[in-house]
Formats: sequence, structure tokens, C-alpha cells
Amino acid sequence: MTILSQVRRRALLSTAFAGLLAAAVPASAQQSGQRVTVTGEISDSWCTISGLMFAKGTAHHQCAVWCALGGIPVAIRDANGNLYLILKIGDDEDSAGNPRVAKLATHEVTVDGELLERDGVKYLLVDRIADDKGVITMTHEEHGIQPFGN
Amino acid sequence: MRGGVTALFIATGLATAPAQAAEPWNIPHERQAVLKGRVVDALCQLKGRCTPDCGGGKRQLGLVLSDGMFRLVAKSNIDFAGATTDLSPYCGREIEADGLLIENPAVTLFFVQRLRERPDQDWIAAERFKADFEAKNGKAEEWWRADPEANRIIAADGPFGIKDLQPKPKP
Repeated sequence: MTILSQVRRRALLSTAFAGLLAAAVPASAQQSGQRVTVTGEISDSWCTISGLMFAKGTAHHQCAVWCALGGIPVAIRDANGNLYLILKIGDDEDSAGNPRVAKLATHEVTVDGELLERDGVKYLLVDRIADDKGVITMTHEEHGIQPFGN
Repeated sequence: MRGGVTALFIATGLATAPAQAAEPWNIPHERQAVLKGRVVDALCQLKGRCTPDCGGGKRQLGLVLSDGMFRLVAKSNIDFAGATTDLSPYCGREIEADGLLIENPAVTLFFVQRLRERPDQDWIAAERFKADFEAKNGKAEEWWRADPEANRIIAADGPFGIKDLQPKPKP
């Protein structure tokens, strides 16, 4: 049993089967995407959707660094809760365990790029980071250092 | 818990879990599933930007299922670790992946717990990340605290990601 599997036993089993009956619609490969500008926090996708910890801001920075270096997909979460999984930044197409991306963990950024949607996932091919405000969401006073407190 | 979840899937006529199914984590929108598909890298699948080795362990990987659906495999059975290390050796090949499909409205991801190439093979735990890490960095109870790159970033930027902001000393 992993450390986090012990943590998750406290997680709520909510609407676990929502979407179970969703239709599967095959999509063709090599899509043409939509040009977008996205603003939001760089976050790891797993912590964001698992609900096992408070996955925002300063409290989650260290954890997000670990997850990014561990190869968990990194996303931008916008103000509406949309998640955009990053598959590249500029010419850098390393999307798993990339230290450059890990350095951006929990930063508030604005990026320009190409959005591809496929089978319930928004993928983002970032052309450039137009703005990086660093970590601006202060959550550590309330939530400490997630998930272990140190 | 596991039996109850399996029973529910059978009741809905959508059972995909075998007798020994993936361990539930009680994550919202999760369901046990065995996905059968071909290992591909996401950038190749979506944009045709391919490499012979699916990115050599540096790209996000997933499975293309028989109906054409693409499922990104985001998490392995190691804490804080993705599944690229587990899937990379199977680049371009068909596998079965046993785990949790999480159909969150914001994103659908698959958490692989074990995999195999054929039904007559034993399952292989999706835990290769730790073995590879320890081969490079030495044995570590918690790889994330032993990772040199993580420690460099946290030392430079602080645990909160702001250089001058440090945790208060514990009383």
C-alpha cells in the first residue's frame, strides 16, 4: 500500500460513475487545432482531479514539482476549472518529467498555443509563454505544505 | 469495497473488470477498467509528430483502443509518478492495462496499476518508475525527496515556489 493510497481512503466517493454511459466517439488522428490564449495556474493533473489534497497555489507547489518530475501530465487550470494538458512548450516536446516545466509549477501564466480536444481531454501545444507571474495564489497559511506537511 | 464496485458494474451491464480488478481509490468519477489498446505517444497520435520510440520516455503516452478512442495514461502505481516509464517499452504494441478510468468533467485520465501484453501472461505491476529511479539515484524510500532535480528546484525557489517565503519553524 502506498502512502497516498492511505491518504485517499479518506477521500469521498462522490459521483463515481458519472459519465459512465457517455458515448464513445472515435476521432481521427492528426487534428487541426484551434488557436487559443489560456490563462491559469500550472498544476499537475493527477492532484487536481484526485481530490486527495488541496492542489492550488503555494501549499501545493512542492507536490506539483514532484509530480511534474515524476512524469504526471502537467496542465493549466483556468479560472473556470478547465484543464489543458501541456504536450509541448515552444520547440520543447518533452512532456514527461521535464525540469523546465517542473520549474513552472503553480505559476500563474498566460500562454498562446494550439488547442486539441480528443475523447474528453483538452491538449495544449504551447507556442509561447506570454506572461509568467510566478506563484501568486497564497494557500499555505490555510493548507500548509501538501500533502505531508513538510 | 472492491466487490461492491464490481457488482455495480455488472448490474449496469458495463463490466470491464476481471476477477482481480484494480484497487479503487475512491476518486470522484473513477471506475475500474481494463483498457486494451496500442501504446502511442500523445503528440504523435494527435499531431503526427512522431519518433520511433514514442519519445524515449520523455513524452506523455496513451492507448489507442479498438474503437479509435485515445486514452491518456497519466498515473502509475508509484506515488507522484506517471506511466511513461511503464508504457515506453511497449511503444507501438498492443497491451492490456488494468486500472482506474477517471472521467472527470474537466479531463479523462487513466491510472494504470498493472499491465501485460497477452491474457496468458502474468500481470506486471506498473511500478517501473521506482526501479528506474533507484538504478540511477540509489535506493530511496521516498523517491520524490531523493530526486536531485526536485531538490534543486525546491532549494532554489522554496517549498512554496517563492524564494523568500519559507515555512514557519515548528514549535
